[in-house]
Amino acid sequence: MKADKNQGILLLPAGALFIFLLALPLVLAGVESFREFTPGRIGSVGGAPLTLASYAELLHPVYIQYFALTYALSFISSIVAILVAFPIAYYISRRSTPTVRKGVIFITVGLLFLSHLVRIYAIELTFGSTGMFAPLLTALGISMNSREYIYFMIVAGLLQYSIPMSMLILIGTIQNLNPRLLEASQSLGTSAFRSHVNITIPLCVRGIVSVFLVSMTMGISAFAIPWILGRGRVLFVSNLIYSRFNEVANFPSGAAISVIMIILCVVMIYIVSRVATLADRS
Amino acid sequence: MTLVVGLIFLLTAVFLILPVVTTVLMAFDSRDYLGPFPPQGLSLQWFDKLWDEQYLWAGFYTSLIVASAATLISSIVGTLAAVAMSRMTGAARDVLSSLFLSPLIVPGVIIGFALLMLFSALGIGSPLTRLIAGHLVITIPYSIRMALIGLLGVKSSLREAALSLGANEIQAFLTINFPLAKSSIAAGAVFAFAFSLDDLAISLFLSDFNTFTLPVALVGLLRSSFDLTIAAAAVGLMGVTLILLLVLDRTVGLDRVVGLSVDKA
Repeated sequence: MKADKNQGILLLPAGALFIFLLALPLVLAGVESFREFTPGRIGSVGGAPLTLASYAELLHPVYIQYFALTYALSFISSIVAILVAFPIAYYISRRSTPTVRKGVIFITVGLLFLSHLVRIYAIELTFGSTGMFAPLLTALGISMNSREYIYFMIVAGLLQYSIPMSMLILIGTIQNLNPRLLEASQSLGTSAFRSHVNITIPLCVRGIVSVFLVSMTMGISAFAIPWILGRGRVLFVSNLIYSRFNEVANFPSGAAISVIMIILCVVMIYIVSRVATLADRS
Repeated sequence: MTLVVGLIFLLTAVFLILPVVTTVLMAFDSRDYLGPFPPQGLSLQWFDKLWDEQYLWAGFYTSLIVASAATLISSIVGTLAAVAMSRMTGAARDVLSSLFLSPLIVPGVIIGFALLMLFSALGIGSPLTRLIAGHLVITIPYSIRMALIGLLGVKSSLREAALSLGANEIQAFLTINFPLAKSSIAAGAVFAFAFSLDDLAISLFLSDFNTFTLPVALVGLLRSSFDLTIAAAAVGLMGVTLILLLVLDRTVGLDRVVGLSVDKA
């Protein structure tokens, strides 16, 4: 009994901050999303009537496009990150010398720690209109002002995070594999490539799924990347929420978008983890 | 096979590192406008401009205060919670642990937006208090997680030995568990500091015209004038990153960071 009481006291500060700074504000946002909004006011009036108007508005195709675009670009960057990070992580954890390994990890962690605004600025300097690739792209007839090029810039921005993050997680996963299984498969005459497909990848399903989920959540919550690299022409849902607050002061609408975004995020995590558990068992 | 992997490795390295190198080179550009890459001559003019950029320095000081306060508070609060969690059964610990990590999957914009509504509804807090409170939401998860990993690595028999030799709970913690978990707790503090320093989405909602963090100031510059003062600032921030990395390597070792700090699953 005494120990239980002590544990309660130890958990109290973190629990209180968690409730006061996360749970309570989210509940408030949930309530706000049902309030009626009067244009021209900042937020809703206290005790304004309840309505579903802010949600109904989101069914408009324009808003659905924001969500679709956010998910599509995040999905592309998550998949590319896995395809690129997996072989590299495998090489680093199995084949490389300790010095190379240490160097790669140092640079990878360093990239993740570097200010994200610096990385976004660097992407614009490198791949933007004054960058080193500009003459080549112009010669190839690729317009750097096209919507497609902006998509490319945003995905490039997302990959700056999803690749290093995926590498670190996958290096951890692959280190825990038993290399004998792969050797056994190969000694039985299977090719190296097929052995990886049959042995290594199924054993890494959990790692790959968590990499996918981390990259997806990161992409969906991306804020500065589309804000700056999207040049005001391409916006993510995060930017939409901010403009609801900053430009039109329509808090109920911003809150409704937030609620939908959290629900979609939780549903995605639930479905992907379920699928992963099923795949893991079979 | 090896050739393909080598090619992927090389292209990825170029893709990730080239922008950083480009930015460093452009920061020393001698032209007084943002011209095409590469720079035609070298100068330190952008660093001079950075030195006089009061807007960025004001943001930097605020960021240092906010990040230090958030790191200190979240290290203490996080360690306390981790101590309680390290003594629980596996199932209870997993539930609490995913609960405490959940802020990391909520987009920063939503946390900022929701906190702003809470603070205005209650009408409390100076901008500085609001910023520190907002940053705690994203720093506490890292502190709890890292402290928990450290504390779980300490054998319970050591603590029991201390208790049986007559130490009380607090003495046992201070002489056994804490010293052995110290490096993980320190790593948690480095993570907390780094992520607080880098937060934009939450800070944007909680800053005002007088009190704003460095990322808020930087994004303002990025959107108004895309000039090379920012490249000079970027070089400075790379220095800050390098210091954090070296601290992290000295405390836990970067090798141990792999797979344990970022793997949320």
